[in-house]
Amino acid sequence: MSKVLCSVATRGRYFTTLPLVLNAIINQTRPVDKLVIFDDNDEPQDMRSQMIYQYFFQMLDIKGIAWEWLYADKKGQHHIHQRANTMGYEWVWRCDDDAIPEPNVLEMLYYYTEDGVGAVGGSVLTPPYMPDTGSVTGLIDSIDSEPNIQWGIIKEEKHVDHLHCTFLYRAGVCEYNLGLSRVAHREETIFTYGLHQKGYKILAVPNAVTWHMKNPEGGIRSETKQELYEHDEQIFRNILRYRDKTIVVLNCGLGDHIVFSHVLPAIPNAEVFSCYPEVVPGKSIAQAIELFGDIDPWNVYKKMDQWKWKGKLEDAYRKLYL
Amino acid sequence: MIIIAPYAQKLRTDKENPKNYPYWKELIEQIKEPIIQVGVEGETQLVPDFRKNLPILELRTLLKECRIWISIDSFIQHLGWDEGKKGIVLWGPSDPLIFGHPENINLLKDRSCLVENPFIWWEATEHKNDRFVKPKEVLKYLEE
Repeated sequence: MSKVLCSVATRGRYFTTLPLVLNAIINQTRPVDKLVIFDDNDEPQDMRSQMIYQYFFQMLDIKGIAWEWLYADKKGQHHIHQRANTMGYEWVWRCDDDAIPEPNVLEMLYYYTEDGVGAVGGSVLTPPYMPDTGSVTGLIDSIDSEPNIQWGIIKEEKHVDHLHCTFLYRAGVCEYNLGLSRVAHREETIFTYGLHQKGYKILAVPNAVTWHMKNPEGGIRSETKQELYEHDEQIFRNILRYRDKTIVVLNCGLGDHIVFSHVLPAIPNAEVFSCYPEVVPGKSIAQAIELFGDIDPWNVYKKMDQWKWKGKLEDAYRKLYL
Repeated sequence: MIIIAPYAQKLRTDKENPKNYPYWKELIEQIKEPIIQVGVEGETQLVPDFRKNLPILELRTLLKECRIWISIDSFIQHLGWDEGKKGIVLWGPSDPLIFGHPENINLLKDRSCLVENPFIWWEATEHKNDRFVKPKEVLKYLEE
C-alpha cells in the first residue's frame, strides 16, 4: 500500500479549529502513515505543554502514526505545501486547519488513487452556503462562471481540471508555484491544474465530506492586502493565457543553451524565455518571472538533482519538455 | 592552430572554479603549434594571442579554422560539438557522461574524482589539482 503523508498548515488556531482537525485526522478509518503539522504562527508555542495536545500526541503514538511538528517560515502556505510535496511520500493529503474531515474521507479519496490519477478531492461544505453543484463541470474554462464543485455535495465521480482547499494528491510530480505572494491566492487551483496539464486525472468524488468551519480568526491566509491577491491572480491568468504553449525557461549557462538548441525543434508550440537569445531566441527571463512568478519548475539542474540524473544533459531537457 | 579555452566562469566567492585545469602552463610549453586563447576579460593570459569576449559567431569561425581545440568543461566544449569540430575536454569534478559529448575526446582522470552531486553550485566544491590528468596524457591525444 502506498504511503500517505497528511500535512496541516496552521496559524492562529491553536485553541479553535485545529484540535478538531487533528482529532478528525487521528480517527480516520484509513490511518495516515505520517502526520506533519506546519506551525506558521508568529509566536509559535510548544504544544506539548497543552493537555489536549498531549492527548493527541499520545493517541498518535498508540495508533502507530508517525508525527512531526515543524515550525514554518511564514512565507505562505504554498511554501509549506511544497515542503510536504518533497518529503518522499507517494501521496499527500493536505488538510486545512479549519476544515474537519469526516472519518471516512481519506479512505474514500485513497480508493480512487489508481495509476494516472493526480489528485482526488471530496466535498468541502461550509453551511449554510450549499450550492447545487450537480451540473458543475470543474473545467478551468468555467472557473469564472460556476461555483467550485467541492462547495456542494458531490453525488458522482467526476473528472475535473482543478480542486481547492483540501485533497489527496500524488506527490513529487508537480511543484507549488513559489512565486505567489504570501497569501498564496489560487495556489491549490494552480497546483492541481498543473497536475492536469501533466496528463494526470483530477477527480471530484462522492462520500468524502469535509466540513469547512471558516474561521475569521487566524488562518494561513489572514493577510488582507488587495495588491497581493491581484499579484497572484495575474500569475494565475498568465498561466491560463499560455496554457496551449510549452513554456521553456532557460535560466542557465551558455553551454546549456547550446545543448538545449538540439532539443528545441522537437518541442511542440514552444514559448521560449532565454538568457542568450543569440543562441536560443526568446523573451527575457525577467518577463518569465513577471508572467509566472516562479521559474524553478523549469530549472533543469534542480530537476536533475531531484531525479538523481545519470544520463546526458540533452536527455534531461527532453524529459523536462517532451 | 590550436584553440584553448582554459577557464570556467568565475565563482561568486572569488575562489578558483574547481573545473579549472591546473596544468595549463606546463601543457602549453609542450605544444609546438600556434595557440589562440579564448576567454573573457579578467582571465589570466597564457599565450600571446588572447582573444577576449568574442561574439559567438566569431568563436564559431575560429573553431572551424583550428586544427583542434582544448577546453575545460565550459560552453566551448558544447560549441565545438555543435560545430561538429572535435576537441579535447579536460574534466575534473564534473561528469562527462552527463555534461560531455562522446564526439569529443573526454579526458577524465578517474570517476572517483567526480563530485557526488554535480548539480549544485560549484562554490561548494574545493579546487583540487589531483582531479585532473597530467599534460603528458593530453599530448598523446593532441598528437594523434
